[in-house]
Amino acid sequence: MTRRASILGGAAAIATTFVVFVIPFIFIVLMAFKDRQQSALRDFSWPTGFHLWENVAEVVKTRNWMMITAFINSTIITVVSVTLLVIFAAMVGYVLARRKTRWNGLIEFLILAGLMVPPAVVPTIWLLQGLKLFGTLHGMILIEVAYNLPFSIILYRAFVATIPRDLDEAAIIDGARPLDVFFRIVLPLLWPVTVTNIVVQSVGIFNDFTNPLYYLPGNANATVQLTLYNFQSQFSTAYNLLFTNILLITIPPLLVFLFFNRQIVAGMTAGAVKG
Amino acid sequence: MMKTKTLALLGASTLGMLMTASAVQAQQSGYLTILVDNGPQSIATMEAWADAYTAENPDVTIDIEVRPGGGEGDNIVKTRLATGAMADVFSYNSGSLFQAINPTQNLMPLTDEPFQDSVQDSFKSVVSADGEVYGAPFAPAMGGGILYNIPIYEELGLEVPKTWDEFMANNEAIKQAGKVPVIQTYADTWTSQLFVLSDFFNVLAEEPDFAEKFTANEAKFATTPAALRGFEKLEEVAEADYFNADFGAASYADGVRMVATGEGAHYPMLTFAIGAIAETTPDHLDHVGFFAQPGDSAESNGLTTWMPDSLYVPKNAASPELAKDFVAFVASPEGCAVRNEAVGATGPYMVAGCELPDDVPPAVSDMMPYFQEGGQNAPALEFLSPVKGPALEQILVEVGTGSRSAEDAAALYDEDVRKQAQQLGLEGW
Repeated sequence: MTRRASILGGAAAIATTFVVFVIPFIFIVLMAFKDRQQSALRDFSWPTGFHLWENVAEVVKTRNWMMITAFINSTIITVVSVTLLVIFAAMVGYVLARRKTRWNGLIEFLILAGLMVPPAVVPTIWLLQGLKLFGTLHGMILIEVAYNLPFSIILYRAFVATIPRDLDEAAIIDGARPLDVFFRIVLPLLWPVTVTNIVVQSVGIFNDFTNPLYYLPGNANATVQLTLYNFQSQFSTAYNLLFTNILLITIPPLLVFLFFNRQIVAGMTAGAVKG
Repeated sequence: MMKTKTLALLGASTLGMLMTASAVQAQQSGYLTILVDNGPQSIATMEAWADAYTAENPDVTIDIEVRPGGGEGDNIVKTRLATGAMADVFSYNSGSLFQAINPTQNLMPLTDEPFQDSVQDSFKSVVSADGEVYGAPFAPAMGGGILYNIPIYEELGLEVPKTWDEFMANNEAIKQAGKVPVIQTYADTWTSQLFVLSDFFNVLAEEPDFAEKFTANEAKFATTPAALRGFEKLEEVAEADYFNADFGAASYADGVRMVATGEGAHYPMLTFAIGAIAETTPDHLDHVGFFAQPGDSAESNGLTTWMPDSLYVPKNAASPELAKDFVAFVASPEGCAVRNEAVGATGPYMVAGCELPDDVPPAVSDMMPYFQEGGQNAPALEFLSPVKGPALEQILVEVGTGSRSAEDAAALYDEDVRKQAQQLGLEGW
C-alpha cells in the first residue's frame, strides 16, 4: 500500500517537473528551429523546416558579432565577481561567527539592510562617475559584489557555526598564523556552502539584466542578457531569433547547474539547523 | 583620448571656417556615439545612415548603441540624461513624452541650424519648448486609421468606405460571408484606443477648437457629441458582434498577421504596422490597404496623423558639432533617400524635398492622398493638448468587451484626465 503510494507520488513529481521545467525548454528549442513566419504564431507545433543553423548564425552575427563580445564580458564579470564574493563573504562570515564583540549587532543590521534596501540607480552612477568607474567592467564587478555580498555572508555565517572551534585552536597550537587558519583550514571545510554560493551567484550574475542595462552602457560593454533586446521590441519581435538567443545563453548556466547540482542541495541545508 | 579631442576640435574649426566661407560640404572627423531605440526599423535605418555618413566622411567613427523601447526605454533616457552619460545623438518620442525629459535643461537647441528651414512647421511644433526647437525628424509621419485586407474587399466587391455607415455596411457584408469583419487585440491593451484616437480628425471637423477647450477644461468627451462619437463607434462595432472570436486574448502581433493573411478584414491601427507586416509576412504586404477612420459625412473625410520620433543632441555632447552635422544629414533629402533604400517607405516625410520611391506598399500609397493637395489631415489630440489620461486603454477595453456603455466610458475618461491635468498644473482644473 505504502509502496504504491510512493510510486504514485514519484510519478506525480516527475510529471510536475516535466510540465514546469521540461515543456518550456522544449518550446524554446522548437521555436529556435522555426522561421520567422511560423514563429510569429507562437504555438506549440513541429517546425516546418530546419532553420536552427541559419538562426544561430544570424543571432551570433547580429550587430557586428555582439554576441561574442557579450559572452566574453559576461564571463569576465561572472567569474571575477563570484571569486571576490566567495573570498570576502567567507572572511566576513568567519569573523562574524567566531568573534563576538558588541559591534556584531550593528554589523548584522547593516548586512540585513543591504538585503532589504533597494539600491538607487542615479546616485550610484554619480558615485561611479566620481571614482571614474562608470561604464567599465571592473566598476560593474564591484557593483555585483556589493549587491550580492549580504546574501553570501548570511550563507557563510550560518555554516561556519557548524565547524568546531577545536579545529582552529589545534591549527594555532601547531603554529598556523591567522591567515593560514582561514585559507588552509576553514575555507576548505566551507566547500559545500562555497559551491552553493558559486552556483546561485554565478547564475544570478550571469542572468542579471537591469544592472548592466543601467551601469554598463556602450556596445563594447554588452552582456548576454542585453543581446535579447536585439530581437525583441515594443512593436515587432523576431521570435525565432529571440528564442535562439535564449537557447544559446541558457546553455552556460544549465551546465553549471548540471555539474554542481548534487552539491547545491547539501550546501543549502548544511547551515540550516544550527545558526 | 587626447587625439580624438584634437581631431574633433580640428573638425569643428574646419567646419566653422568653411561655413563662413561658403556652403561647401565640410569633411567631418571624430568619434560619434548614437543611442537608438530597438525597433528593427530604427536600427536598420540608423546603421544605413551611419554607413552613408562615414562613406562621405571617412575620418568619422560612429558607434551605435541600442536601448529598449517603452517604459524601460524612458527610464534609460532619463537616467542617462540625468547622469550626463547620454550619447552624442539619441532618438526619442516627440510631443508629450519629449516635454517629460526636461528639454530646456538637458538638450541642445537646434533652432538656428540651417537644416531646420526645410523641416515642416507641424513637426517643429512638437519638438519645441520655450521657443527653441530641439529635434529633427527621424522617420516619416504616421496615420491612424483602419488597415484592411484587399483580397477580402475584392472577393466581396466592396468599396473603401467614406462614411461610418458605409463602413458598418461593409462589416455586415463581410460577416454575412462568414469572415471576421473587425480585429481587436486586447492582450496588448494599447491597441484598444485606435477607434477613439483616430477619430480625432472627425472631432476637429465639427469642433475646430476642441483641443484648446479640452486643455482648458471647457470641453469634455462625454458632453461633446462629436468627441463622444469615437466611443460610440467602438460600442457599435462591439454590439454588432463584428470582432474576432479571440479578441480578448489576441496580441498586436496576432492582429497584424490576421489582417495581412485575411483572417480578418479590418484592423484599426497606426501605419507603423506596415513595417511589422513587411518583416513578419512579407508575401502579404501587397494585400493590405489603408483608409482613414470614416466620419459621419463623406465631405469631411480626413486622416488623423501622428508625428514621428525625433533625434536630439544632449547639452553636454562630447562632439556637438559632429552631432549636429550628422543630424542635419539625417534630416536632408539625402537622408530620406538612404532610409528609403534601407527599410522602404512607410509614410510621407517631414522634410521638404524628400521623395518616396515609386513602388511603395499599397497601405502607404493609400495614405498619401490625405497629405497631398486637396487631401485633409489633422494631428492627433496628443500633439495638440498635453492632457491624456493614463487609463484610456483600460476604459476602452471595457467598452469593447461590452461591460461599459460609451457614455459611461467617456464620462469616466473625463474623470481620468482630471488627475493628469492637475499633476501638470494646468489652469482651470
